[in-house]
Parts: sequence; C-alpha cells; structure tokens
Amino acid sequence: MLRLTNVSAGYGQIQVVRDVSLDVGEQEIVCLIGSNGAGKTTLLRAISGIAPFCVGTIEFNGEDLSDLPGHEIVTRGIAHVPEGRRLFRTMSIRDNLLMGAFRRRSASEIKHNLDRVYHLFPRLAERRDQAAGTLSGGEQQMCAIGRGLMSEPKLILIDELSLGLAPQVVDNLAKTLLHIRDLGISILLVEQDVEIAFELASRGFLLDSGQITVVGTTAELAENPQIKLAYIGA
Amino acid sequence: MAEPSDGLRPRFLLWLSVRFMTLLLQNLVNGLLLGGLYVCIAIGFSLIWGVLNIINLLHGSIIVLGSYIAYYAFTMFGISPFLAPLFVIPMMFAFGYGLQLAVLNRVVDKPVLITLTLTFGLDLILNNFMLAAFTANFRRVVFKDPFETLDLYGVIIPVDRVVAMALALVLTLAFYLLLNSSRIGRAIVAVRNDRDAAVLMGVNVKQIYAVTFGVGAAFAGAAGCLLSVVFPISPMSSGLYLGKAFVICVLGGLGSIGGALIGGLALGVIESMGVMLAGPEHSVLTGFLVLLAVLAIKPTGLAGKRGYE
Repeated sequence: MLRLTNVSAGYGQIQVVRDVSLDVGEQEIVCLIGSNGAGKTTLLRAISGIAPFCVGTIEFNGEDLSDLPGHEIVTRGIAHVPEGRRLFRTMSIRDNLLMGAFRRRSASEIKHNLDRVYHLFPRLAERRDQAAGTLSGGEQQMCAIGRGLMSEPKLILIDELSLGLAPQVVDNLAKTLLHIRDLGISILLVEQDVEIAFELASRGFLLDSGQITVVGTTAELAENPQIKLAYIGA
Repeated sequence: MAEPSDGLRPRFLLWLSVRFMTLLLQNLVNGLLLGGLYVCIAIGFSLIWGVLNIINLLHGSIIVLGSYIAYYAFTMFGISPFLAPLFVIPMMFAFGYGLQLAVLNRVVDKPVLITLTLTFGLDLILNNFMLAAFTANFRRVVFKDPFETLDLYGVIIPVDRVVAMALALVLTLAFYLLLNSSRIGRAIVAVRNDRDAAVLMGVNVKQIYAVTFGVGAAFAGAAGCLLSVVFPISPMSSGLYLGKAFVICVLGGLGSIGGALIGGLALGVIESMGVMLAGPEHSVLTGFLVLLAVLAIKPTGLAGKRGYE
C-alpha cells in the first residue's frame, strides 16, 4: 500500500536519507529501527511531505505522493504522529482531536471518529476539556495517536512511541496499536526500543546512517548478528 | 450649641468628598467607555502579532479606513456608523486576506525587521492614499438627532459612547467565539501553537495566515466604524491608534483575548484618570508611564501567557 523507491531526503545541503526503498502492506505493522540520527524521523517527514528536500518516488495506493504539498498528504489517508507528540498545547484534548479531523467535512463522521478515539482511550474522554500541555507523557501520546486516528487514515506513521514513557505505559499503548491494526489500519512504527518494535511488527527495516542495511521479518531481524550486537545487546 | 463655623466645615467636607467621588466615578465611567473601544482596536493587532509574528504597522491606517467608509456611508447613504461593521468587516477581510496572500506571505518567515519594514512601507502607501483621497481635514459624524446623555446622580453617561462600547464588546465576544469554537479558529490557534503539526493535520498554513490577517484587518475596520462616532476622522489618527494597540498588547500581555480585554480597559481608565489628575494634555503620557512601569515590574503584561485561549 505504501511503497518508497530510491527516496533521498534531507535539509537544504544536508542529505540525511539516501536511496531508501521500503514498503508497508495492508493491515500490517512495520517497524523502522536505527540509532539516533540515522534518519528515521527525516524519512517519515519525507513521506508526509514536510521534509525540506526529497527526491525519489513515494507511492501510496497507486498514487504518487512525491509532489503533493504537506497539507494534502493527510487527505490521502496517511496520518503522522510526530516525534515528541507535538500537541497543540494550549488547546483542549477535544480541540486537538478535532484538529486531527480538520480535513473531514461530515459532522456525523467526525462525531463517530471522536467516539472511537474516546472508546480506545477512555482517559482522553475523562479529560477532554483539559489543555493538552498539562497532560502526562503517556496521555499526550494517547492524544497524539488519537489525533492521528481522527483523520480516518489507512496508514499511521508513529515516530518514537515509547520516548520518555514508563514501560507499563508503553505496554498499554502497544496493546492499543495492535487493536488499531485490527481495525484495518497499517502502522509504520519508528522505535528506538527494539524489543517493543519487534513485539508489535511483522516486518522491519534497519536504517543505518541514512541507508537501509537490513530488511526482513522481525523474527529474522531478531537473529541478525548486526542488530543483536548493536540494539539488543546480547 | 455648636458655632455656625463648626457646622459648616463638616458639611463642606461632605460636599467636597461627594464631589470628588462623583468626579472619580465619572472618570472611571469615561475610562471604561473608552477602554471598550480600545479593546476592539487591539484584538486584531494582537492576533496578527501572535499568530504571524508580524508587527502590523498598517493596523492604524486600516482602522482609519474603516472610519472613512463608515463616515461616507453615513453622509452619502445615511447608514448609521453602528451598522457599518456589517459591510466593513467583509470588505476589510477581503483586503487583509488578499494583502497577506499576495504580498506578506512572501516574507512571513523572514526576520521580524523585514516584515516590520514591509508593513511600514504599506502603511505609508495606504495612509498617503487616504490623504490624497480624503484630504487631511478632520471629519466628524454628526447625527441629526444627537444621542441623549444620561445623568446618574451627577455622573454623565453619553449614550452614543455606551452603544459604541457595547458593540465593541460584542465584536470582542464574536472574535472570541470565532477563535475558540469554529473550525477555522481552531486552525489559527493550532498554527500558532505548532506550525509543522498543523500541516500534518492538513492545514494549509499560507491560507491560514491569509485568513488570520484578514480577520485582524476586519476587526480593525470594525473598530474604525465605532471610533468614527466618538473621535474626529483623519489619516493623521492612524499613528495614534497604532500606538494605542501597541500599548494595550504590551500592557495586557501579548497573544490572548483576555490580555487585550484587560489591557484595553486598563488603558482607558488610566488615560481617563490621567486627564483628571494631570489634565487632558497628559492623558497619553500617563498611559505610556504606566506601560513603562508594567514593563519594569511584570514584563509579560498583566495577563501575559502563551497562546490564544
């Protein structure tokens, strides 16, 4: 459903990602792992059309997204949960979620999606009028994922699910992601915590200094010596 | 039996203190009536500064343009300036929207000095255009049947100013509802909070910038309509209005409606008290002195906080 072919992206003169090809299938969780500064975030930004510079083809359900401006990507069915959550801090949870549905016009559909998010994260329903900036890290991540779901995407890009969160919180979020996949939504997960990533995803890509060096099912990746050495520490 | 002089002194003191209280109350009322209009002057300026990070030096001239449109609608078609916002708001919105889209969006990401210079230049153009078109003569809206004044125990309340202030507060409320309960208002606040995240939500930022500038201009024009019944109209007033908008934003705290509300009312009362204590020629001076004091003691302004709420 999502297919990147020879994508290079970066900022101005600096090319962060080189010749990356990867794909995500229907109703699949795919993880993108790699160390700090490997270019994971840049790659997601390239898919969402907000990387300052990007060449190569990004195809989604048969449509070439490479030349679309950033604000049109979400209308094609791709939601992006950015690194560090990036909530609208002064706005309430409810308004943040409604911003997720900014490009959806049907009020009944928005209401339906809002209920779906509240059902998925009852915590958000309890605190719907609270300013997003006052939430705990876990709640903020829930809100960010919920905001992504509000656009009724076919694919969600999640950048650093576990960043700065307690293990128990991450476990809960991970369960919810499986649930979201079962709703028919694919997930491209960028994750530092390889253990969590492998638990959730069926396939994975290792991004090393801007290039994909290892590809495979997560079971294969877990046995890969390079990954074992660098990321699992065994 | 008290001597007559002893009975006279308390009565004189009582009379004096009643006179003083009435005077104080009168100036408070004057200040609040003025302040309501000041709020309306400042909200658009504050919005554009807060969301676009543009210090819109054109703001004063847009207010004056609003006054002129209201004035000519009144003298040529007999339309009350109080109704003028109904057509001035869409006109000024279109003007602001177009200006942002065609001109300001080109430099909106540049350092603040660039946008400042640009709006300064645009202000020169608009102001001189108004000088050429309307001349520098002071115009005044004169109603055929002047509004009455109410007398409440010695406090004089001019009804036209009360109507102007009430409409100014209604506009402020509309502005609040627009930003807080509408889809487009949410997008404006979202862009102010986090531009990149707003793009991910599907917000066309350049378009929201244009809408924001349009809304700012629309409310400036509406303020101009209301001011036209209170103050004489001249292109020369633009600098004065701009200065007020500046003071109010800094006084109340930048980037919130609450700030503009508190700042506007406070400035009105401060100026009015300045008139009472130091004379009319010092009213503007008092405003700026208090501004300096606030900057020294509480630089975030009286209600200063981040973001539009």
